[in-house]
Amino acid sequence: MNRALQLFLLLAITLYFFALVHFSRRKRVEPKYMLLWIISGVMMIALTLFPALLNRVSRFLGIYDPTNALFAIVLFCVIIILMALTAILSHHNADIIRLVQENALLEQRIRELENKAETDEAMKSAEKGERNAV
Amino acid sequence: MKTLIIIPACNEAKNIAGVIADLRRFYPEGDYLVVNDCSTDETAATVRQLGVKCLSLPVNLGIGGCVQAGYRYAQEQHYEYAVQFDGDGQHKAQYIRDLLRPLEDGEADMAVGSRFLADGGFQSTAMRRLGIKFLSRLIHVLCGIRVSDVTSGMRAVNRKMIQFFSAHYAQDYPEPESTLAAARRGARIVEIPVQMRERQYGESSIKPGHAAYYIAKVTLALLMSNAEKEEGEI
Repeated sequence: MNRALQLFLLLAITLYFFALVHFSRRKRVEPKYMLLWIISGVMMIALTLFPALLNRVSRFLGIYDPTNALFAIVLFCVIIILMALTAILSHHNADIIRLVQENALLEQRIRELENKAETDEAMKSAEKGERNAV
Repeated sequence: MKTLIIIPACNEAKNIAGVIADLRRFYPEGDYLVVNDCSTDETAATVRQLGVKCLSLPVNLGIGGCVQAGYRYAQEQHYEYAVQFDGDGQHKAQYIRDLLRPLEDGEADMAVGSRFLADGGFQSTAMRRLGIKFLSRLIHVLCGIRVSDVTSGMRAVNRKMIQFFSAHYAQDYPEPESTLAAARRGARIVEIPVQMRERQYGESSIKPGHAAYYIAKVTLALLMSNAEKEEGEI
């Protein structure tokens, strides 16, 4: 890995961490999801600061250019994060379904209570009317 | 014995009155619950005008979430039996008693209305029948039960199944998947011959071009649900 690329990557990762801090301060991202991004950020820093690590990985995997190994690792991280997001999304979907159903059940219950209250009132006023007539 | 007829309906304002009339004629002893899946037409108003209870989902959930809302209601209100009955006029109320009989006799936990066991009536198109046959085989291989009309939305279940379905019910294309889920937990499933009609207005939830997608997705869903950890008991 040459110096220029190393510097560029460091700069990019710094920006990346600034963005992370920004999001977490504004509470846009929950800590448990933040963890995923922090772990992959730390991995990227380690690989950029210690290219020897990268060289070893690329030699082991038979990738000629260590930079390609870097891209492969980044891609791997991204895929993991995407899968985690799909899992989170599916979970939320199940929650939403449950809430929508519960909402409909409650609405129906309120409707019934209102109807009952109305008929009760009508009966009461009818009784009163009868008594007054007597 | 209290029986709840769960009627999922999405934009069925034109069909729903006919469905209710059919039910009142052939199965007046049941309670009816229309589950309105966020219709944009007058479905809910029409249903309430007819004096029938209506659960209105504020967000469109599709047939799975829609029917499950009905099961939740049945569970809350302690119904002994629940019958799924489509709001589009495909199903005939005259068969409801046939569906309930094996449950009342304690011979089955779930009865599926099958149009392939009965002669006549609307038998669906050849392509669809082929797809249904494939899914039926797949379910047989996966859990050993034989259900010929696995996509049938006309089913009756007992208290145990109401409890199970209100907690666990497949989404998207739920019929084959929920049948498998029930069978894997040892539910006794029987098929009852019924005739069906072709829907009168509107379109099926499975559009013609989507058949291949439907089969692929249901196959995957079946394989996935066969592999997943068993949650819940019957």
